[in-house]
Amino acid sequence: MDHIFGRDHYRVIALVARIADLTPEEAGRVTDAWKQTSPADRARAWAGLVRTTTETERYQILAAASLARREALAAAHRMQRMDWAFWAAASDAAAAVAAGPGIGSPYQTLTAPLATVMPSLAGRQAPAETRPADVTAASSTTSARARKSASTP
Amino acid sequence: MNNPIRELSDAFPDAVVIVDSQGKTIAANAQAASLFGYNEREITNMPVKALFPGQLLTVPRQRSGHADTGRYFEVVGTRSDSTQFPAVAAWMPLLIDHFVAAVLTIRVIAESQSAQFVLSRGLETLIWEGQDRQALLRYLIRAREEERARIAADLHDDAIQVISAASLRAQQLGLQLRDPIARQVLGKLQETLNLSLERLRQLIFDLRPPDLESGRLAAALRAYHEEMRSDSGIVYKLNDRMTAQAPDPVALLIYRNVREALTNVRKHARARTVTVELLDIEDGCLARVVDDGVGYDPAEVEARPGHLGLVLIKERAELAGGWCRIESCPGTGTTVEFWVPLAESFAEPGAGRGRAG
Repeated sequence: MDHIFGRDHYRVIALVARIADLTPEEAGRVTDAWKQTSPADRARAWAGLVRTTTETERYQILAAASLARREALAAAHRMQRMDWAFWAAASDAAAAVAAGPGIGSPYQTLTAPLATVMPSLAGRQAPAETRPADVTAASSTTSARARKSASTP
Repeated sequence: MNNPIRELSDAFPDAVVIVDSQGKTIAANAQAASLFGYNEREITNMPVKALFPGQLLTVPRQRSGHADTGRYFEVVGTRSDSTQFPAVAAWMPLLIDHFVAAVLTIRVIAESQSAQFVLSRGLETLIWEGQDRQALLRYLIRAREEERARIAADLHDDAIQVISAASLRAQQLGLQLRDPIARQVLGKLQETLNLSLERLRQLIFDLRPPDLESGRLAAALRAYHEEMRSDSGIVYKLNDRMTAQAPDPVALLIYRNVREALTNVRKHARARTVTVELLDIEDGCLARVVDDGVGYDPAEVEARPGHLGLVLIKERAELAGGWCRIESCPGTGTTVEFWVPLAESFAEPGAGRGRAG
């Protein structure tokens, strides 16, 4: 199962699991943040992402993006908050996570909107009292659940 | 059998079978007997292969160097009642009374692990099928383009020449006719021939816009806008901010995708305005088609089959080494955006980056 989302598949799965737990307020923050980035900057980031990866890696990246998009779309339905910027943000972030932080600035651009509610995506920690469940925090129940569901024999 | 070894194997939580160099069981613990549905006497002296029929089990004949020593491998065990179960097994060579025996430990895969195993195999199958599907789409896209080019060439070289010749002959005949009724009939015939020519030329234009062949992507799109404006009433805006010239195959890909998106707008969007933007981004072209129509719910629409146009837009962009996003919401219009590199090697499906079709 490792190879479907690439070497960072656990982070992808943790991110996807966390999307399902977002509150409407968090979804709103993600949506607003996504709209603040210009389409040209985002296009540049995606171009950078697809140009620096192999065909196999692109397949994994697109698989991760597709799964996150679907999860966010389902979450938006549950929240009755239909704005495609939300699932676009989820899709962007999952693609960047699957590609890994090594891709540089495209990673920051594509994860930034979701990082407003998942600070670990940006590689920084928010203050403890305001920090929501973190996709990489070892104590996070979400992460634990994701790890459990993603465990391989 | 040495008692300490027997005690050791009985203490194991896993099923343990001790096998001689001929592949016969010389002992088995209670867990093994129970797992395979035999009593301990029955399981002793059985060929170990009978417990795993149809599978290649190589018994280690020395204490080191065996490929399967020290690692688990997947097997399917068969019980005395012929039912089967998935398991993992490992060999461990052992020196007993001056001869090498082999200890086979067998661990039944738990239900959750079994499900994981099936899931993993399922994902592998999905990946293979996804790759097959991509190869098929790549072939379809290339075949479509080749077929379009062939039809356009045939129309130009054959049908149009024949109709043009017929039209000329009709004109010559008209000069010789004196009967007004016959001249009127001939006039109608000429009109029909001219209409046929016009339609065939339009068809050639649709198949292979001449502006594209002279490297003018924006001009080709403008011509298509004009054509659509007249029969749909939608206001089209083209914002061309491309400074680089796309090579022909890339321009054709962009044209096809934008046109496909515009066709969807005309058919489904009920839009008043649609804007097409072309921008230079990272040695590539970003094309955006944004309408102010009724939009749609992706969860609902994408669950239904039959959206080949949207699939082709995405596949064309991705196969060319680019990316594509098609998004919408009820009441907020639809955005189609894709980026493709301008390097020609990426543009031809099947060429570049090992994309052999």
